[in-house]
Amino acid sequence: MITAEWKPIEEMVGYLRGHKKVLVIGCATCVAECAAGGEREVETLAPLLAMAMQNDGNPIEVKSATLERQCEPEFLEAISEAAADADAIVSVACGIGMQLVAEHYADTPLYPGVNTTSLSIREEPGLWTSRCAACGDCVLGLTFGLCPVARCAKSLQNGPCGGTRTDGMCEINQDTPCIWRLIVERATARGRLEDLTKVRPPKDWSNSPAGGPKRMLREDLRS
Amino acid sequence: MANNSTADFQPQITLLYCRQSLAAEVKAVQGNRAGDGFSVRLVLLPCSSKVQLPHLMRLLEQGCDGLQIAACPEKACQHLVGSNRAEKRIARGRGLLEQVGMGAERLGLDRGAGLSLDDLMEMAGQRAEAVRALGPNPMKGV
Repeated sequence: MITAEWKPIEEMVGYLRGHKKVLVIGCATCVAECAAGGEREVETLAPLLAMAMQNDGNPIEVKSATLERQCEPEFLEAISEAAADADAIVSVACGIGMQLVAEHYADTPLYPGVNTTSLSIREEPGLWTSRCAACGDCVLGLTFGLCPVARCAKSLQNGPCGGTRTDGMCEINQDTPCIWRLIVERATARGRLEDLTKVRPPKDWSNSPAGGPKRMLREDLRS
Repeated sequence: MANNSTADFQPQITLLYCRQSLAAEVKAVQGNRAGDGFSVRLVLLPCSSKVQLPHLMRLLEQGCDGLQIAACPEKACQHLVGSNRAEKRIARGRGLLEQVGMGAERLGLDRGAGLSLDDLMEMAGQRAEAVRALGPNPMKGV
């Protein structure tokens, strides 16, 4: 899922000074799963913003709504009346959903209530960890299903760096396992450690975010 | 933080309590009660884990001066981890209230078993005292 985290409320207050009627909108999909932007979080944030603005000396009227998805235009119509009535929108969807709302309701300023942070899984309750970096050239078939792009601080492709801790954790973050240790362990368990010695062609990074804005076209799906 | 403190401030407290925390012979009560220098609305919960931040924040947005949760002792929760979940939510809520300038002390949780109505009123009174230093809820009457 796409994960996000609330921005500091102080930052949101800074955005909202000068506004009077604010619509806080959430998304019931990815950001709901990571407890940042679903209905529960929207209904927590909306009164908090009202209180924060009151204490800031800039009282606002706050309304709230949670869309099924903010990244699909079909779902945005549900807030058309509320958006028309608001002079600002705070979105706690991912950056994708936020931009679609900003485009759809272009006359109303939109402010982010979250920072979009990663493509992660919920590893255990209350803990989300990266699994994908949308690099555009998946190597999971070569690395036994463990991603060295998203899960290595240096995105190393040919084995661990020299910084792996003695307990097998990453030198950058002691709570993160060295992914190359896990790759080697899985390869060993499958009796295929030799596979990791094979020379691979250079990874194609041109299809990654570093290659510029992505534009994916499927002629068979176009009208 | 807004300082609306007044000498005659009578905090309005909402106390949400777990029905399991009451003594067996105590009849569960709900509704408004007057305390010494404060008023309290008692709300019965099947378990303290039923408290959710949206509900608590809405109550404060609507002008309640302070919120008190009464939960069972850690090892006595009928839902095993219910009171622990409530405690974590309250800790997060207190942090958020501090961020928005309302003051963490507007929200609190205490544990107890075999509680009487007097015990609940005492808890509410302690919350009222904590809130008194913050003054009335700035959202009152908004």
